[in-house]
Amino acid sequence: MAHKPKIALYWCSSCGGCEESVVDLAEDILAVAEAAEIVFWPVALDAKYDDVARLDDGAITATLINGAIRLDEHVSMARLLRKKSRLLFAHGSCAHLGGVVGLGNFFTNEEILNRVYCDVPTVNNPDRVLPRPETRQGTTVLKLTGLHDMVRSLHQVVDVDYTIPGCPPPPALVKEAVMMVLEDRLPPKGSIVADTRALCYTCPRKETRPEMLEVPSFKRVYEIEWDPEQCFLNQGVVCMGPVTRGGCMAQCIQANMPCRGCFGPVDNVRDQGAKSASLLASLMESTDEEQLKKIVETIPDPGGLFYRYSLASSIMKGRVRRRP
Amino acid sequence: MSTVRIGVFICECGPNIKNAVDLDGLSRFARGLDNVVVAERFALLCSLEGKDTLAKEIQRHRLTRVVIAACSPKEHEHTFKQVMAQAGLNSFLLQIANIREQCAWVISDKTRATQKAQAILEAAVNRVARHEPLEIREIACLPDVVVVGAGMAGISAALTLAQKDRKVHLVEKAPCIGGKVARYEDLFPNLECASCVLDPLLDAVLHHPNIQLWTLSEVKNVLGYFGNYTVEIITKARHVDLQTCIGCGACVEVCPVSVQNEYNEGLDTRKAVYLPYPGALPNLAAIDETHCLRWQSQDCESCQQACPFGSIDYQETDRNMSLKAGAVVIATGFDLFDVTKAPQYGYGKIDNIYTALEFERLVNANGPTQGKLILKDGRVPESIVLIHCVGSRTPRYHQHCSGVCCSYLFKFAHQIRKKIPDATITSLYTDMCLPGKEAQPFSDKIAQKTGLKKIRIKDPAAVTITQDHGRPRVTYTDACDASKSVVADMVVLAPAITGTKDASSLGTLFDIPLGGSGFFVEEQTSLAPVSTPIEGVFVAGCAQGPKEIQAAVSQGQAAAGKILSQLVPGQKRALEAMTAAVDTELCSGCKICLGLCPYKAIVFDDTQQVAGIEEVLCRGCGICAATCPSGAISARHFTDAQLGAEIESLARHTGRENRS
Repeated sequence: MAHKPKIALYWCSSCGGCEESVVDLAEDILAVAEAAEIVFWPVALDAKYDDVARLDDGAITATLINGAIRLDEHVSMARLLRKKSRLLFAHGSCAHLGGVVGLGNFFTNEEILNRVYCDVPTVNNPDRVLPRPETRQGTTVLKLTGLHDMVRSLHQVVDVDYTIPGCPPPPALVKEAVMMVLEDRLPPKGSIVADTRALCYTCPRKETRPEMLEVPSFKRVYEIEWDPEQCFLNQGVVCMGPVTRGGCMAQCIQANMPCRGCFGPVDNVRDQGAKSASLLASLMESTDEEQLKKIVETIPDPGGLFYRYSLASSIMKGRVRRRP
Repeated sequence: MSTVRIGVFICECGPNIKNAVDLDGLSRFARGLDNVVVAERFALLCSLEGKDTLAKEIQRHRLTRVVIAACSPKEHEHTFKQVMAQAGLNSFLLQIANIREQCAWVISDKTRATQKAQAILEAAVNRVARHEPLEIREIACLPDVVVVGAGMAGISAALTLAQKDRKVHLVEKAPCIGGKVARYEDLFPNLECASCVLDPLLDAVLHHPNIQLWTLSEVKNVLGYFGNYTVEIITKARHVDLQTCIGCGACVEVCPVSVQNEYNEGLDTRKAVYLPYPGALPNLAAIDETHCLRWQSQDCESCQQACPFGSIDYQETDRNMSLKAGAVVIATGFDLFDVTKAPQYGYGKIDNIYTALEFERLVNANGPTQGKLILKDGRVPESIVLIHCVGSRTPRYHQHCSGVCCSYLFKFAHQIRKKIPDATITSLYTDMCLPGKEAQPFSDKIAQKTGLKKIRIKDPAAVTITQDHGRPRVTYTDACDASKSVVADMVVLAPAITGTKDASSLGTLFDIPLGGSGFFVEEQTSLAPVSTPIEGVFVAGCAQGPKEIQAAVSQGQAAAGKILSQLVPGQKRALEAMTAAVDTELCSGCKICLGLCPYKAIVFDDTQQVAGIEEVLCRGCGICAATCPSGAISARHFTDAQLGAEIESLARHTGRENRS
């Protein structure tokens, strides 16, 4: 038998959606399993850390890591897999940009822990017991992996060869990434396995986009019944299509939902959130200061909206904390 | 960037920079920066000797980029760009590090000033490394000009512009020229007879070989850009031959139709074939299709039969014309505030209440009463009240002061006194606005001569006029808060001067915004009052804001001067080099930029589904580049890479300083 390429998959701070995007390959995954040897995939296979550590450096042909980096364990696994893999893919929005979990950077660890372990209404924790790096019980010492102050993307921790964007990525793109490797037709390093242009270029509604767009107030999807044929922005519904890389086959638009930006910005844009702000600002239908304020108020959570997927990798990276 | 060879030249600027910044330290620092091959200090770079040295140094070190650490780029960037060009370098490969205004002059501590100078200098070095040479392109221009509106401002502009090698198209909506001023009797401040002053000017326009007058004409569309505009106009059929008509009025006499005469502010009637008012120039009749019986499916031919010269032509149709010109002057004048919108003044309901323009016609020898100042019933008024600030200086209607009403109301007082020696003349005012060298002496003289009774009131918007036995009763609150009233035979109102009713449609055609009260917005209030945001389109006279005749004339001449200096026949015009550029491989066709460009410089390519920049129109403002959600548009000389390099250097220094 010929030497099969080795593939590994790993998850860091992730919701599991990216794992789904692999499972969603359905029958195609059999073809992958046929053509390649999956050496490590904690969600599906019983392989352990040591199995990876034992491999020679560069022994794995390609590794797909999904999820953001939040724990010491994420960093050490990312570094280990980087060392063992010839190619490393950031798989999904969290590995690519920090993702939704990156929104944690709007809060301190203390705020997050208090919220999650004490203040959520369904949690009963009267003694306010929080996870700690070390817990002693008698002579036993229990250790937890370290929690970082900030969420980071995979790119901010290790050298990444390619990125499969999306929250989660469409299975077709995952397949394309794997086939790129198996068929040895690799694009230039750093490429993102998607379009180079923003979503509007392939949007099925682009014909309805007027030359002059002015929005008197922004609408959230529950506030109106929107026309399923019309450009969302033309109806005042915030759509991130213009500031988001295409390649998703406009799946959300096809399902009559506006783009939320999960593919991240196109190559020339450094900060997707800042671009989103400037996009929406340019559409506001007023020159009057007071009226503009009212329009701005129709966006209740600008930070969350603009940086839904990209806060951790943005210029500011999160809430700015002034040094004392 | 191996070929990048940057020279840093630090200017002592006499004691200005030398005493405030450690320049030897700064030179050493500069030598350590990436790509810098030479960094030296000089006594005075902008001197003849300095410029000479600079040019030699550029050549000696085979420099490809230059950073000058000196004064503000506003002061000498232009100077050093010329030196660059002399030394054979593209002038856009220069960056100025302003270490005088932003450093030496504002920081007294030498160490800190030096630190900041280092930051500014490093930012400039890192920016200039990313500069790209830009080409300044030139286009051929049409020297001709379209002037819209033949009032005082438009005529002044046209006469100043019309010279050898330059034609002026003067487009006027009315059948005659001279605007509103031609219908006044006397002119402030010298009380000269208006037609005596104006007629020679109007004659000059009519007979000027280089002025093509288009009466009964309106602008329908505008295409193009500075240097190459196409202005499409529609010229309404006059139905009277311009060559043979002598304005004898034979046609008017026989016309059976009578309609309200707008040229006398509706105070009398005219015929369907008419001369707007006696003395109107050009002295030609016109048929008004809206009222002529022939256009009401009737068979009248009276005027044609009466005309001794065979000048009447019923077949003539409206014509669409395309005028080619390099520039446009908008001089469409003003309207008065519609006083029926302030019903408290009783205007339109109570007899013998007139607006200022109506009064101008009433006292005009060619007006509806042949200049007799009489009431509706023919009696001579014994008491006349003049009311200032009608609909102006109040948030209820218009906030601005029209600036000329106080002066012309004194003119009115003079005219009243001349015609009715014993009438009581009362003026109700809140504040007198009499600026300039003429108005105050003028008003003082007239107030004294006429015995004008001036009453200071609290709020002109709170004046109410009611009917008292058929006469207007004016009720007001005086300056001492007492409610008072006066009954008069006649009331004259001075309504706010506003932009014209059709200004907004004209503004849309030219893409020039209108400000409050319907005036066109100038490019810059203090320094560019006759320029507009659209290059090559100028605004003059009351279209820009309320003003007296002298100022309207000045603006017309100023706009003409701007055009004369910028559109020289046979000379090309340099285009902005720092324009925007679209990377069509990245453009997603989202169209966001299209609605934002103030200069209509972005075009959408329907086949490729991407945006493109019309370079002759682009002024390089950068709005599209900042907004482009794909980062597909870059602003030349202000690219993200260039600005990013500059900002990052500055931020790094700030961080360093905060830590130290």
